[in-house]
Amino acid sequence: MELYELNLWMLTEGLKAGKFSASEVFTSCKNRIDKCEGNIHALITRTDNEMPAFSKDGTLAGIPTIIKDNLCTKGLRTTAASKILGDWRPPYDATAWARLKDSGAVLMGKANMDEFAMGNTCGNSAFGPTHNPNDITRVPGGSSGGSAAAVSAGYVPFSLGSDTGGSIRQPASYCGVYGFKPTYGMVSRYGLISYGSSLDQIGPFARTIRDLQIVMSVISGHDKMDSSSFRNKPHDFTHNENASIKGKRIAVVKEFAGFTLDAPIADAMKRTLKILEDEGAIITEVSLPVVSKYAVACYYALAMSEAHTNLERYDGVRLGYTVKDARGIKEMFERVRSEGFGAEVKARIIAGTCLTEPTRCEEYYVAATKVRTLIAQEFSRAFGETDYILQPVTPSMPGKIGESDDDAMKGYEADLYTLPVNLAGLPGLSFFTGYAGNLPVGLQLIGARWSDSEILDAGMILERHFGSPKISDGGVN
Amino acid sequence: MKLTSEEVNEIALESRLLLTEEELAGAVRYINRFLDALQCFKELDLKDVEPFSFAEAIECPLREDKVIPFPDTEAILHESEHVDGSYFKVPRIMEE
Repeated sequence: MELYELNLWMLTEGLKAGKFSASEVFTSCKNRIDKCEGNIHALITRTDNEMPAFSKDGTLAGIPTIIKDNLCTKGLRTTAASKILGDWRPPYDATAWARLKDSGAVLMGKANMDEFAMGNTCGNSAFGPTHNPNDITRVPGGSSGGSAAAVSAGYVPFSLGSDTGGSIRQPASYCGVYGFKPTYGMVSRYGLISYGSSLDQIGPFARTIRDLQIVMSVISGHDKMDSSSFRNKPHDFTHNENASIKGKRIAVVKEFAGFTLDAPIADAMKRTLKILEDEGAIITEVSLPVVSKYAVACYYALAMSEAHTNLERYDGVRLGYTVKDARGIKEMFERVRSEGFGAEVKARIIAGTCLTEPTRCEEYYVAATKVRTLIAQEFSRAFGETDYILQPVTPSMPGKIGESDDDAMKGYEADLYTLPVNLAGLPGLSFFTGYAGNLPVGLQLIGARWSDSEILDAGMILERHFGSPKISDGGVN
Repeated sequence: MKLTSEEVNEIALESRLLLTEEELAGAVRYINRFLDALQCFKELDLKDVEPFSFAEAIECPLREDKVIPFPDTEAILHESEHVDGSYFKVPRIMEE
């Protein structure tokens, strides 16, 4: 077995025991990237030219990692997959990355993504699409598609992504890895390039639940630089082999029963429920009528409104793409933004501007914030009746690269299973259940706010039954 | 009520975006389809519903109102092509 094939916990134990060196791990991962990257294109920037110095005492000492390119890295290009950021080198590190680095992690590169995290294919990038490492003709999912593909192909044992409406969980499912979206407030977003600030959350990808727990123990916790990160909340992610779900209530959503799922996903739902029942869980049902009918419209109204505000800052003055021959400030802003933003981002900015204009704000934006309250209340009631909700991540298996639908709203509707979790600030785990042909099939477990560690414990029980995902062939066998 | 291409273009200009004819046609379709989808809010009685906020946010999240100098202002200025001394310099603001 090559070193790049080892999971994170195996690498940390092996390094501590002196079975191999950090330099050997680095070289093995670098060789794997060299071999696959031409087929997958998971990275916007590679930083694996040579082994950097790293902190020798931390939990992640000498462990290679990759982070999504919307996380600021001091002195290292950060693009959010947009032309408008040019070759921007941030003057500070994102807290999540700083915590990994302080813990000894070694950065191998920055991952491709949909521009400003807007998309669910990783094809909406100024740097071209990422390919699914299980089948390079298919999308890896998005927006954190590069981070998911990199872990799936064995570039690194874990990576970081961000999840505004499913951007960790959906690519994890498509690529066949675990992806965890923590409770809103669990992980600092300082240094995460903002898309929808009330929805954005940073989280990890890995090939085992135990690995997710290790990463969460490093990146979670209060940060004075992010006022939305909470103090005094539970974040003990210690691995517990004896965790049990006996007597726990696990619900499916009544209203989702009528929705069509691709056969492998429907089959995975049945198998997972049987496993949970056999483990002693009580299978139940919850009703989420507002979520099922209004969440998609609510989410996109809020996400676009927040995006329009967050993206106002890109004007070509202080950083990134610019023009030098503009005759006035208005012309400069117009040219920079028109030439710098991609089509999907422009569409969302225009939609957000439209929804928040004084004449329309009450009817659309304010209404959406109220619908969000109803959605959060509905989840709150549901989690009085159940401990977890089991549901798909997506209704369908990954599509072919380049296939697109002219009706963007249809693509947005595919996010129904992921985006309500962000609206209510809940934790959600995308877990691996097996393969249909060469494509992995994932499902999702969600819980009440701050139940993150319990969800990972439940995920570990499922991992014992389904097995951990294997490293994908990365298009090279 | 559907938005016309003139109205959508006006909104785009407010966002400091200049659209090509093709982009504008796409934006008109996109916005109108999107606004149609949002009509579903009218089915709900939202009169007495409060706008959303995270309920646990009971402590004041603001930092102390105190200046903390950024250690590396050079690194900030280095990223701009519009710097004059320690300032950002922009083209004229007043219209001709």
